[in-house]
Amino acid sequence: MASTSKNIPSTANPENVTDDIEPGACTDSILNPTDSFEEFASEMSSSLEERNTLAAKSSTISEIQSEIGESSKETLRETKSSDNLQSKDDSISGSASSSNLTEQNGEDTECERDEYLRSPELVNKEKHVFILSSAGKPIYSRYGNEDKLAGLCGVIQALVSVVEEQNQDILRSISTKDCKAIFLVKGPLILVAVSKSNESETQLVLQLTYAFNQIVSVLTLTQLNRIFEQRRNYDLRRLLSGAERLIDHLLIFMEKDPAFLLGAVRCLPLPEKARENITNAITSTCSKIRDLVFAILIAGNQLITLVRMKKYTLHPSDIHLLFNLVRSSESFKTAESWTPICLPKFDATGFLHGHVSYISEDCQACLLLLTVQRDAFFPLSQAKHTIAEKLRRSNCLVAINDALNRNKELPTTNPLKHIGIPEIRHFMYKCKSTAQLFTSDPISLDRLQDYRLRHKEGGDITEKKIEKLSDIDYVRNYRKFCSQIHCSSTPAKLIFRSNSENTVLAWVTNGFELYVTFDALMEKDHAIRAVDRLLHWIKKEEERIFIMHAPTF
Amino acid sequence: MSRCDFKIVLLGSEHVGKTSLVLRFVNCRFNSGTPYQNTIGAAFCAKRMQSNGKDFNVGIWDTAGSERYEAMTRMYYRGAHAAIICYEASSQASWTRLRHWLQELRTVEEDCKVYLCCTKKDLLDSGAAQREVDEEIVATYSQGLRGHFLTSSKTGENVDELFQKIVDDCVADMRVMKGVEEARVQLQKEDAAYRAKHKDYCFC
Repeated sequence: MASTSKNIPSTANPENVTDDIEPGACTDSILNPTDSFEEFASEMSSSLEERNTLAAKSSTISEIQSEIGESSKETLRETKSSDNLQSKDDSISGSASSSNLTEQNGEDTECERDEYLRSPELVNKEKHVFILSSAGKPIYSRYGNEDKLAGLCGVIQALVSVVEEQNQDILRSISTKDCKAIFLVKGPLILVAVSKSNESETQLVLQLTYAFNQIVSVLTLTQLNRIFEQRRNYDLRRLLSGAERLIDHLLIFMEKDPAFLLGAVRCLPLPEKARENITNAITSTCSKIRDLVFAILIAGNQLITLVRMKKYTLHPSDIHLLFNLVRSSESFKTAESWTPICLPKFDATGFLHGHVSYISEDCQACLLLLTVQRDAFFPLSQAKHTIAEKLRRSNCLVAINDALNRNKELPTTNPLKHIGIPEIRHFMYKCKSTAQLFTSDPISLDRLQDYRLRHKEGGDITEKKIEKLSDIDYVRNYRKFCSQIHCSSTPAKLIFRSNSENTVLAWVTNGFELYVTFDALMEKDHAIRAVDRLLHWIKKEEERIFIMHAPTF
Repeated sequence: MSRCDFKIVLLGSEHVGKTSLVLRFVNCRFNSGTPYQNTIGAAFCAKRMQSNGKDFNVGIWDTAGSERYEAMTRMYYRGAHAAIICYEASSQASWTRLRHWLQELRTVEEDCKVYLCCTKKDLLDSGAAQREVDEEIVATYSQGLRGHFLTSSKTGENVDELFQKIVDDCVADMRVMKGVEEARVQLQKEDAAYRAKHKDYCFC
């Protein structure tokens, strides 16, 4: 019993709620609100030739460096070359031993290999992700041991190259009754998702793109391309060692957190004044540090504030990679870190250098100071201590902790109760112009922790009757609505579906996207009135739940 | 501009226990419950230490062992007063890497005092790990260096001793101390200049 309407019917048009401007919108955005769906469209329309030359765009980092003007041309070149993590000779000599290793595995009898593909490590998983080089060498497998998957990777590589060479075409996907295999070829890598989940092809391609960007983030695109230009047979696992964890966690986040589904960033709800104080503490401390590009304060996969160099914004997907890095790395908690970070959307060709540290032992907010200057550790370390001190004195740490611990007195802790519409079970709202997101039930920190523990043995398809839906189940349900709304050929504007389990309303306008789950068998006009009130509430609380200013240094 | 008197850098292959060594030394703890996680980039810690009756601020750079960060590592040992190169006696591969770092330091940072550190002594003692690296070879290699320590971050054995030896050696080195004094004077000047500039705010 689903009804899809491409034009909002006049009776069901709650236009009056958005008097002037949609909740959360502001004139200047800290984030680059380009939709990842638009990129997907361009990815899909790309021809074979375009794809094979994954040329990097001009380097933003060198642009900033030359603007700062301190570094003469010569030092600039030096910086570039020494930033390459691996020197030319190393990459060639080093790979000999490990390629032998794979060859040995290749000698396994076919029967053994087949048996491994049927082992409990691999069967009955909801979603597999494999990454291999275009020469067919295994790089990453979400489950099992990729060493033993050399045979499978060979098959994948063969499929891709047969379609490419014989038909001059691109292999996008293979569908069977209960399973889709999605292929994405990016530069020297082949990424494959084999999924039995309800995610659409678009959503899976986006996830693979994220996984690719995660690899770029630790190596840079320049280095990735160069390695395989020098040696097509290179075993990339040597350079990625330790980064598999980042991909593991990223895949889990993408399945749980609607921020990925909507291409938006979740903000930590804070009183307007507190957020302003935090931003001021950062700008006043860092305004004199010339090479600083971004100062980002985050907590529990949520953005607290972002101060940036004029002219430059961050793409939500780059922020997601930063969230993932921080969430996946315990080592940031024990010491100040100084680490190269490549943000693929910002500049895939080079590294920014990041000072990463938690504000204090009693506040789990993490500050990232990203610069183009690679020996700026000590000034940034000093700046961090000054900022932490200012935050403590202005009581901002308390405000952050209250929000993180979901203090019961805050209206944003349990928004559904505060709004007072009992028929609404769950909602998520994205403000499109600022690429920010708010959901009725923020995924709490400790639950994210659970996924980590469960992950290695988890991922199996289970048929258990769910008594009470968690926020993750709601988000799972939204997936197909989301893909209908973002469908490039026949996009829907408003979807209303009511059945005996629940009622879902999905609505997209120029300004926002809204997904609401109601009780079962709701009437349409009743639901529309509830959405009306919901939008009023979001508008009223927008200063708290969104970042409404776009501060610069 | 660093407020540390001595700069110590830790080098060695991944998973030999550099981070555990630093955490044991700085925080006096070892958490056997947390699973292994590679260091990303490098981590910096500082600790106050005493030598010869004086206080010194020691800055320690714990570098990532992954090959991915290898070229980056050079920027951490540049100007280091001392380097601790770690290896695991039960891993021949980690010893091979150690020789690489040794060579690198000899050519790039001649003045850097080099210490060898064999980690995870508790595993050797309990028989949980077998020695693969020949002790005689280690002895030959450490002759030209400032010292060789067999440490356990789990029990804390020899950890403080290692760092104390480094600081004592630095303090005994006239050339290093001259640099430390100059840096301190410079820092005082800068502080004074900073205070003078911000006088209005302080006393208003």
